Amino acid sequence: MKKRLGLVLLISLAFLLSFAPNLCAEVGVTDTEIHLGQWGPQTGPAAAWGNVARGTRDYFKWINDNGGIHGRKIVYHMFDDGYNPAKTKAGVKELQEGTGMFAWACGVGTSPGLAVRDYLAKKNIPWVGPAAGSMHWVDPPQNNLFAVYPLYYGEAKALIKYAIETMGKKRIAIAYLNDEYGKNGLRGALEELKAHGMKAVAQVSMENKDTDLKPHVMKLRQSKADLVLMWTGVGHSARIVGISKAMKFEPQFMSTSTTSDFPFMMHITKGLWEGVITGTLGELPDSGYPLLDKYKEEVFDKYAAKEERWGVFYYAGILFTEPMIEGLKKTGRDLTRENFINAMEQIKGFKGIGPEVNYKPFNKNDMYSRQGASQTFLVQCLAGGKAKKLTDWMSIK
Amino acid sequence: MIDLIQMIVNGVAVGSSYALMGLAMVIIYKTSEVPNFAQGEMALISSFFAMMLLTSFNMSLYLAFFLTFVFAVLLGFFLEFAILRRAKEPNILGMIVITIGIEMIILGFVSWKFGADQKTMPFPIGPYDSFIIGDIFVSKLEVLTLVAALLLMTTLYLFFRYSKLGLAMKATQQNSVAAQIVGVRTNRIMMMTWGISSLVGAVAGLLISPTIMQPFMMWDPMLKGFAAAVMGGMTSLPGVIVAAYMLGIIENLFGGYISIEFKTVVAFVIIVLVLCVKPSGLFARHYIKKV
Amino acid sequence: MDMKRDYYEDVQLLTSPVVLFWFAVLIGSLYCLPFFVDNYYIYVANYIAINIIVAAGLNLLVGYTGQISLGHAGFFAIGAYGTIILMTKAGFPFLLALPCAAFVSGCFGFLLGLPALRLDGPYLAIATLGFGLTITQIIGRIELFGGREGIHAPDITIGSWVLDTDKEFYFLLITLTIFLLLFMRNLIKTRVGRAFIAIRDADIAAQTMGVNILYYKTLAFAVSAFYAGIAGGLYAFVLKFIEPEIFTLMMSIMFLAMVVVGGLGSMMGAIAGATLLCWMDLKLRNILDIPYVGDWLEHLSNNWFSITGVSNIQYIVFGSILVGIMLFEPLGLYGIWIRTKKYWRTWPF
Repeated sequence: MKKRLGLVLLISLAFLLSFAPNLCAEVGVTDTEIHLGQWGPQTGPAAAWGNVARGTRDYFKWINDNGGIHGRKIVYHMFDDGYNPAKTKAGVKELQEGTGMFAWACGVGTSPGLAVRDYLAKKNIPWVGPAAGSMHWVDPPQNNLFAVYPLYYGEAKALIKYAIETMGKKRIAIAYLNDEYGKNGLRGALEELKAHGMKAVAQVSMENKDTDLKPHVMKLRQSKADLVLMWTGVGHSARIVGISKAMKFEPQFMSTSTTSDFPFMMHITKGLWEGVITGTLGELPDSGYPLLDKYKEEVFDKYAAKEERWGVFYYAGILFTEPMIEGLKKTGRDLTRENFINAMEQIKGFKGIGPEVNYKPFNKNDMYSRQGASQTFLVQCLAGGKAKKLTDWMSIK
Repeated sequence: MIDLIQMIVNGVAVGSSYALMGLAMVIIYKTSEVPNFAQGEMALISSFFAMMLLTSFNMSLYLAFFLTFVFAVLLGFFLEFAILRRAKEPNILGMIVITIGIEMIILGFVSWKFGADQKTMPFPIGPYDSFIIGDIFVSKLEVLTLVAALLLMTTLYLFFRYSKLGLAMKATQQNSVAAQIVGVRTNRIMMMTWGISSLVGAVAGLLISPTIMQPFMMWDPMLKGFAAAVMGGMTSLPGVIVAAYMLGIIENLFGGYISIEFKTVVAFVIIVLVLCVKPSGLFARHYIKKV
Repeated sequence: MDMKRDYYEDVQLLTSPVVLFWFAVLIGSLYCLPFFVDNYYIYVANYIAINIIVAAGLNLLVGYTGQISLGHAGFFAIGAYGTIILMTKAGFPFLLALPCAAFVSGCFGFLLGLPALRLDGPYLAIATLGFGLTITQIIGRIELFGGREGIHAPDITIGSWVLDTDKEFYFLLITLTIFLLLFMRNLIKTRVGRAFIAIRDADIAAQTMGVNILYYKTLAFAVSAFYAGIAGGLYAFVLKFIEPEIFTLMMSIMFLAMVVVGGLGSMMGAIAGATLLCWMDLKLRNILDIPYVGDWLEHLSNNWFSITGVSNIQYIVFGSILVGIMLFEPLGLYGIWIRTKKYWRTWPF
């Protein structure tokens, strides 16, 4: 019944809109509400990334309970797309054309995102913080799309630079996943190696489906590398480190920020993750960073389901949407998409729990006008899942 | 040379888990001619059951594993009794669809209950413990898998060959009406088969779970086990073991010497080639179909 | 049911003026649909229409010829990639690229049909399944196809008409769908269709009667793959972006499920099955929003299961439908329809 009523209302609303376009300020905004949407895989093989969307949800709940934004509450619409781009597109269209979203937050995955990127761009609907460090978001930059996630490409460069300049490693091998994520990492790493006049001693690629990684590790071992950079999924990285240990092949391992959840990595590798160096997405859970502790107490402890884990993926959901909330706050009471995009462009040196975020007025030749974060710092895993900070926040442009 | 031996050892190691899954499928196919696509998920739910007993109820390992095996057998009984037996006009496509349906139900159930995060199962032998012979490394867990596969294969082979129940199973497969006439309760035999098969699958699942557990972990071993079973001829127990080890070794050698990129799919290409030459697999007797 | 008096009545496409009338009404309303409903529903209609094409093709193979395919996502992928590559790299216009890509897909179907001549049951299942997995793996490794990073679809232009909205694409798609379905129905009603059915029911007997098994079995595979290829080519333009990981084993399983749920060996069944399963696949996304049931499920999840995994109930629903259909109504939705029709025809007796 409620649905039927909603439909009737919607149709009459659409009717109204078509006759009097000036009556309503902006789609998805009323005097008391802002409608924001998000997709995130809760089912299917990528469901481990579902925490991101749930983190965002809890964060928005917290914002609402603390008074909302300029007197408006966020109405948050999340749907499960099962990492299937067709379903992502269907869900986005349904929410956008049915309920009407003001903007889209986060959204996990490169291919689901790519399926809707052009649709959102054409309608100029703001989209902040896609949860993947892909070049597709900012190359070329789009007026409506504000990326937060530091580029994998830059992160790989930073890791290799550290390996060569600080650790003095000579033989560097790269293991990467054969997809957008892995290829971006590989590209960055190879470029940085070339800049130092070096070559990768081995490049080993693997598929998402691979579970038996011994042949891959043997390839790495044959190359006699003294450092292995892994641009692979969480499970893959854990297996590579484990199998290498078993094969008495013990180089220094480096890995991406997606594996910087050290307590978790220590758990699934049964303690073998110790000594691995990774990049990071944001401040570390045990660093005592005040804002992060606040989120843990006020967001996670209060709203999260009991089986939720306080880990990198969960608070990444907060991290990716912080700039969006900042932008909404800056926009003020007069909330239209144009004003919001203007306000986002004025974000300078914004620091939440992640790297510093900067945007610039739209310039189609400058990807950093839309790529907000371009900093990371490197950490090393210590016994018990503790982390040692190796560098300070550094730029990876 | 060292690398070659190492690759063969790795191939045998990975072949063992294919062999266990393949065995489980062959047992069911042998008696009821159902290609059981739910085999992987039956093993999955048993493994998660074991993990739940170990971590939430803090049971000792032996008790937990014993209960898991009981659970696996009961699960097999239940699926046969409640679903497979009820199928009207079963043909092979219908059976495939039913088992795919069961597979989805169990997969959904496990993901609903346990979430999608990666987990590991506490196990006395760590997944990365190994010993070294000469320059060849051998993982302890995989030696255990190998032993389990060979032991189960031998036991089952003897069981099918010599025990009363085993003979009844064979009779059921060859001609279930005739078997019924001479007093074999074919329904009960089917149920037993599913129980045993589920148990074998659970062993495979338990030996895979110490590495990484997540709801999709059994897809790859199941498909490869199925491939091995088909290659071995679907009805031959030693056949599936041989085929599984062949697949494991070929995969590793292919990955090592030819192309690591296509390692995962080489098994399926080989299957198609083998089937072109021998349509009922390497080790099965070819039955002439009657009109 | 109705008595057929001569051969031409049996091969007729539309059996009576009444049927013709309703058929015309249906087609007319399909063409009018975009003027009355939201854009979102047009997108959904496009999505469903594509699945109907695949289901109709697969039904020819599974329902009429009695073969098994767990690899149709592979043909689907060939069609999708073929169309885009031919358009962007070779400069073909859309209306030429689509059939060419589908023809390539049909050739692969023919090739897969060759081993299928000697295989049945689980052997055929694993061979087709392997084909589906291998194709996407190979595509993912070829740089020409964009590798695993995927490729974007260009805009479709037919003459000077640029189809860049869902509604415009809908008209093209619905025309193609109707054409393909009519062609399929024609095919089944003729000699070829009867040969397929004869192969399904008893292949050796059919051979004795003079049906060329080699020809008709591979033809069934080729036509089925051609349909999947056409659908794939269209799908690429619904999504505007494709990458190999989209064409999973799960997709192949869903295609098979559509045919089985709809009813094997029935065109209407394939259409109904594809519509129902696609609709459910899209609607079960937010399982907690379903009135009454949602609250109960939330309560259940909080106490016994995990609330984080609650969306996985959709797998349980799909699985239950598959099992339930096979157990209680092996003819699927079509069987249910036949039964209801019979019941009302003889009512109240």
